[in-house]
Amino acid sequence: MTRPAFTPRRAGFIALCLLPGVVFVMLFTYYPMVRGAVIAFQRYNLFDLTSTPFVGLENFRAVLAEDRFWTALRNTGTWVGASLFFQFVLGFGLALILRRNFRGRGLYQAWVFFPWAMSGFLIGLLWRWMFNGQFGVINDLLLKTGIIEEPIGFLASPGWAMTSVIVANVWYGVTFFAIMILAALQGVPRELYEAAGVDGASRLRQFWHVTLPHIRPMLALIVLLRVIWILNFPDLIYSMTGGGPAGSTDIVTTFLIQQVIGGDYGKAGAVGLLVLALLLAFSIFYLNVTRSDETTR
Amino acid sequence: MRRLAKTVVLTVWLLITLFPLYWIVVTSLKPKAEIFSVPLRYWPANVTFEHYEELFSFADFDVYLLNSLMVSLVSAAIVTVIGVLGGYVLARFSFAGRGAVMMAFLVTQMIPLFIALGPLYLMMSDLDLLNRLAGLMLVYVAMLVPFATIIMRGFYERIPVALEEAAQVDGASRLVAMVRVVIPVMLPGIAATFIFGFVQVWNELFLAITFIDSEDAKTIPVAMNSFITQYDIDWGQMAAATVVSVVPTLVLFAAIRRYIVEGLTAGAVKG
Amino acid sequence: MRAPLLAALAAATLTITACGGSGAGEGKVRLRMIESLTSPDRTKLIKSLIADFEQANPKVEVELISPPLDSADQKITQILQTKKNLDVLEVRDLTAKSFVNNGWLSELPTKDWAGWNGLTELARKKAVEVGGKPYLVPYGFYQRTLFYRTDVGMSAAPKTWQELYEAGKRMSTGGKFGYSFRGGKGGADYAILMISAYNGDTVNPEKSFFLKDKRTIFSTPEAAQALDLFVKIFKEASPPDSVSWGYPEMVQGFTSGITGMLIQDPEVIKTVEESGLKNWSTAPLPKGPTGYAYQPVGYAGWGVTSFTEHKAEAVKLVEFLSDARQSIRFAKDNSLMPISQQAQSDPQFSGGAWKAYLEAQQDPKQVITIRPTDYPGFSQFQVDSDRDTQALITGKKTAAEVLKSWDAFWTDQAKKVS
Repeated sequence: MTRPAFTPRRAGFIALCLLPGVVFVMLFTYYPMVRGAVIAFQRYNLFDLTSTPFVGLENFRAVLAEDRFWTALRNTGTWVGASLFFQFVLGFGLALILRRNFRGRGLYQAWVFFPWAMSGFLIGLLWRWMFNGQFGVINDLLLKTGIIEEPIGFLASPGWAMTSVIVANVWYGVTFFAIMILAALQGVPRELYEAAGVDGASRLRQFWHVTLPHIRPMLALIVLLRVIWILNFPDLIYSMTGGGPAGSTDIVTTFLIQQVIGGDYGKAGAVGLLVLALLLAFSIFYLNVTRSDETTR
Repeated sequence: MRRLAKTVVLTVWLLITLFPLYWIVVTSLKPKAEIFSVPLRYWPANVTFEHYEELFSFADFDVYLLNSLMVSLVSAAIVTVIGVLGGYVLARFSFAGRGAVMMAFLVTQMIPLFIALGPLYLMMSDLDLLNRLAGLMLVYVAMLVPFATIIMRGFYERIPVALEEAAQVDGASRLVAMVRVVIPVMLPGIAATFIFGFVQVWNELFLAITFIDSEDAKTIPVAMNSFITQYDIDWGQMAAATVVSVVPTLVLFAAIRRYIVEGLTAGAVKG
Repeated sequence: MRAPLLAALAAATLTITACGGSGAGEGKVRLRMIESLTSPDRTKLIKSLIADFEQANPKVEVELISPPLDSADQKITQILQTKKNLDVLEVRDLTAKSFVNNGWLSELPTKDWAGWNGLTELARKKAVEVGGKPYLVPYGFYQRTLFYRTDVGMSAAPKTWQELYEAGKRMSTGGKFGYSFRGGKGGADYAILMISAYNGDTVNPEKSFFLKDKRTIFSTPEAAQALDLFVKIFKEASPPDSVSWGYPEMVQGFTSGITGMLIQDPEVIKTVEESGLKNWSTAPLPKGPTGYAYQPVGYAGWGVTSFTEHKAEAVKLVEFLSDARQSIRFAKDNSLMPISQQAQSDPQFSGGAWKAYLEAQQDPKQVITIRPTDYPGFSQFQVDSDRDTQALITGKKTAAEVLKSWDAFWTDQAKKVS
């Protein structure tokens, strides 16, 4: 892409177009976030504001010394890993099927897209109700089909709760994933397939040698955005289990919410910065890995 | 055979997607006693609208609905305009600080919102913007600007520069060229950005519960949050509220369905 | 420095969107009031009391804010921190200290208020308990009691925790269970009830997490016995689901007939009565092996903020709510132990399910305690201990581990205070 050279008149235009967005983000996102980050180095408890001295890394030490933080971190791994895996695999499958046109495809897409219109908060509630131990429809269906003999307290047992929230999250995320992958698939130029087709390549080989390499950079980006998003997405867990029972569905961001509700803004800030550091480190690492893949290809 | 397999897979997935929606509708139509009775019924023995009536009589749900609509429409509109402008500049010019702006926008997506809540609350209080829809809109716009700008930039990059240059050769200024030539081509992208903004704002919970506690400024998620955490969850009312709260987005979806799929498939990836 | 720019921006947006908050009517004073222990029924009740107040004072309008129970105190604190737009608030025994220390509450002019002398001695004592001045007027008292079914093979209420366990175990068959266990939020309170009871006469009731010899109540072998039984009650006499039960589930479990016993506050009396459940009764709290039971008396009340711009009206509202007529109505509808002397002759508070309370009051071994709510780590402990309790009953931690960490926590707190 050619980009025009820089002139004063252009500078004015650029500023005019970009300024509103930048001002909003600076004032209402960066300013409070920087303040919040500063609080991470203060003793700052909402219920005891008589003194808020700077305490260095005290909050970070306190957070890192907590078993619960480490449990939450492990759970975050499970939550992100499992959600991503299933959303990816199912979404990819769906995208492959949706790639070829068929009658009613537009309508079908609109219908399966609907979970995206709901909030994570509502989806958590919805599944909380369906997973209910006594009056939940999931237990009822499993009992009726003879898969289980006694109702399971899905959200009440530490063993099942994580599985349950992941099921809900997969349900929520598959279609969006599918749409994104579909877009990537549609970006593959037809000629590539034609060339491969002439060579008499089988469909599988076509997929492996033409489709996949072509969409790989985009897949890499989609996956990265997804990781960030799932990790920063406590809404569903918040309304479904609140992180319980016994912290078995706590992820770092629900842990952070609990610190905020508990009034300990200092510790909350520390957790927030740790999450940020984690995500930045992961992104850099991930981008490097996927990029070097590309160049060696 | 392949066709059959495909149809089966598509049908099964559709059922899985829609079943929860079906179940929440059924729950919302059951009288209280039936919601909590075993064996479960898959269609209410006695259909009732009592939960919906309750919602609009006791709970002022019409007020929340209007507030939510207002906040979502206005914020999404502002964000879309900002995104259209900012995305254009980021896609078409190279200038000092361009990378920095992109980076600054990207990083906002990684910072957990919650560390900003306390300071933001104090700031909103200083500005007398607590319990005001306008205050909520400001925060939402700020929250959505990065994504909208980046997504719009992706759309512009798909449009050949030649298109504008042709218009400029005819003597139109850059801005006019942009409005006359580029915007029409961009409509799916603009629609997608608007929808995205609308849905995000419509569903946003944590900022709203922080800044709003007056009845007359509550949005739907705030109201629903106060249903659940109180002593017990009234599932009937909750189900009805869920149904009501999903309807506007579904209507919007139906209205510009073509654009959404087109727009999101085209733009989301680039984002 | 940033303010002018921000203000301009804010003003611009305000004009564009034209949707400012609602102002008060012409010439009216608008009070903002916030409640903490919210529930739908209680909110309705408060609203109707407010309506009465507005009728008696046509110049005053009251806006009631009812945040969700779980985060209400955080919300209240957040608003207080901004020092504006709040006049009347609910202050709990747990938040009083922090609000007073931060200077957010006004001293109430109780000397000029005729109703003050109509309060019970306990109410007057609790009004000035924090900070030595009347920063709030309690609206009622909470105290736990045992609810039990009389038609499921239990001829008399269990007198001790051991008896409760045995009776509960007998009842747990065929989808029914003995006891509404609290494994979710607030669960640690119940563990502490048992631990205190097991420590017997060594507990210091004035600082109920400590013994008279200054050690913590968590340090003794009796505490370990108590927790072992606590876990056994969960495992053998309670529904497995109760691992995450909080208030609503416990009560629902009892009223729906799933469980046969429940330990809760007096407000449940009303819920149980309205549930249509027959054949139930109440009894004082179960005791430990040496015949003691300890529990705090919980309270909450109404206060006025220090920064209110309408102090006279705000005080008037608090006095109105605390006057005999309104306070008795509030206590009755909420089923709380009342603050008004007049209520003592009221049959509703001495008969039926309330008898257990009278019985407990007359028993010197049913001891009222004061929890160390004024220690800096108290609210932290509440959050932590609930999670430890859940970890304990799900087998993720042992009783010894839990007690060790609680003991360490409070030993450390004791050092911070003295």
